[in-house]
Amino acid sequence: MDYILNGFVEAFRLIFSFDPEIIQIVLLSLFVSFSSTLYGTLIGVPLGVILGINNFRGKKVVSRLLYTFMSFPPVIIGLFTALFLARSGPFGQFQLMYTPTAMIIAQTILVTPVIMGIVFNHASTSGYEVVQTGKTLGAQGLNILILLVLELKGVIMIALVTGFGRAISEVGAVMIVGGNIRDFTRVMTTFIAMNNNMGQYSVSIAMGLILMTISFITNSVLYHFIMGDQNEYQD
Amino acid sequence: MNIKTSHIVKTYNQKKVLHLDGQYGELFFESGQIHGIIGPNGSGKTTLMKIIAGLIAPSSGTIRYNDHPLCQDIFSQMTYSTHTPTLFSRSVYENIAYPLKIRNYEKDRLNQTVSQLLEEFDISEIKNQNARRLSGGESQKTALARALSFSPQVLFLDEPTANIDPKSIQLIETALKKRNQDQGLTIIIITHNLSQAFRICTHLTFLDQGSCLFSDTPEKIMTSTHPTIDEFISFNRF
Repeated sequence: MDYILNGFVEAFRLIFSFDPEIIQIVLLSLFVSFSSTLYGTLIGVPLGVILGINNFRGKKVVSRLLYTFMSFPPVIIGLFTALFLARSGPFGQFQLMYTPTAMIIAQTILVTPVIMGIVFNHASTSGYEVVQTGKTLGAQGLNILILLVLELKGVIMIALVTGFGRAISEVGAVMIVGGNIRDFTRVMTTFIAMNNNMGQYSVSIAMGLILMTISFITNSVLYHFIMGDQNEYQD
Repeated sequence: MNIKTSHIVKTYNQKKVLHLDGQYGELFFESGQIHGIIGPNGSGKTTLMKIIAGLIAPSSGTIRYNDHPLCQDIFSQMTYSTHTPTLFSRSVYENIAYPLKIRNYEKDRLNQTVSQLLEEFDISEIKNQNARRLSGGESQKTALARALSFSPQVLFLDEPTANIDPKSIQLIETALKKRNQDQGLTIIIITHNLSQAFRICTHLTFLDQGSCLFSDTPEKIMTSTHPTIDEFISFNRF
């Protein structure tokens, strides 16, 4: 048990020592996860809305595919991304393998279905009603779009939080396409996995605490915006 | 706005849910009247109303509005409200103001119109509440006030007074009759309440299993010998 307690003590010492390597790892993790969430949002929100509010043949197939992609293992996504980005792969000429860009690509592939699926699900139900109501009140084109985004803003925020959570906590994809290279592609999760394998539990615990704190702060900020809206629904 | 439907058929999953043919193959909804659509559950009332309102397309048949096919100009002069309205996640005031804002009403005119509607529907006290927090009756009054805010020519109502208190029902009926008499608003209303249909409607259409069995004045339905209509009226009496 001692090693766990010592691990926590060492963890706090490490956190408050402001180790440049730790700071660099945290900043890279945030950069990669925020970037992939941003790209995932730019792709997933419009597609989720468009597919959700329109009725078309094959919509059920689309939803099933989407929900399947939502639960795809990160390691599989990492593997496929690596196959495409590897030197001998179709995009090998861009030399993206083992770079932060490759990590962002892999995480974007990972979070886009999550964001898209959540938005799609709500747009299919409440979004459709909002569009129909807007039309009966005279709204068209841009007015409908603005109305829909405002009505779904809570859902979009939930999708963002979920997407970011999936991105910052995954290890499989970034490990494969990033390679966990020191000072270049090492992020919090790969750092924890590596130190755990080496038996250095204190630094693993320290990074775990930092990861949890960052997740808590990010979720709290976004939760504030979401619940600021959601509270109004309570009786 | 006169609305005429001809031989409308609507099919869902190869099942005909609405098929207007024979004696009542053509239905006429005269401008400035209050038309009631009545009938048992699943008779096709909502489907017919949504087709006339331009919200869903018929599988076959035609609808003419003042002898013209549906276009955006005609569609923007009609509105639709149900007993489970979709109110926007904003204040009651903002909900009612929404149709006026997208029509670029001047601020003073907008405020005046919304204030009048809030007073008329007795919802001034809740004007700042989020519309998603309202009770059933308050929601229906807000939805109706919003629908009437831009003075449409045709108002479609799907059970607008279902599950609300008698005072609110009276308030809504008074508002509808006032709009109909003062502004010539054409109202097409689905109701399960036969006494309400008699109170406010000038014309009744009876649907059963997707077919129209009757379309005439409320007085004449009482003399109908059709067993389904007779049964419906008998149940409504008790």
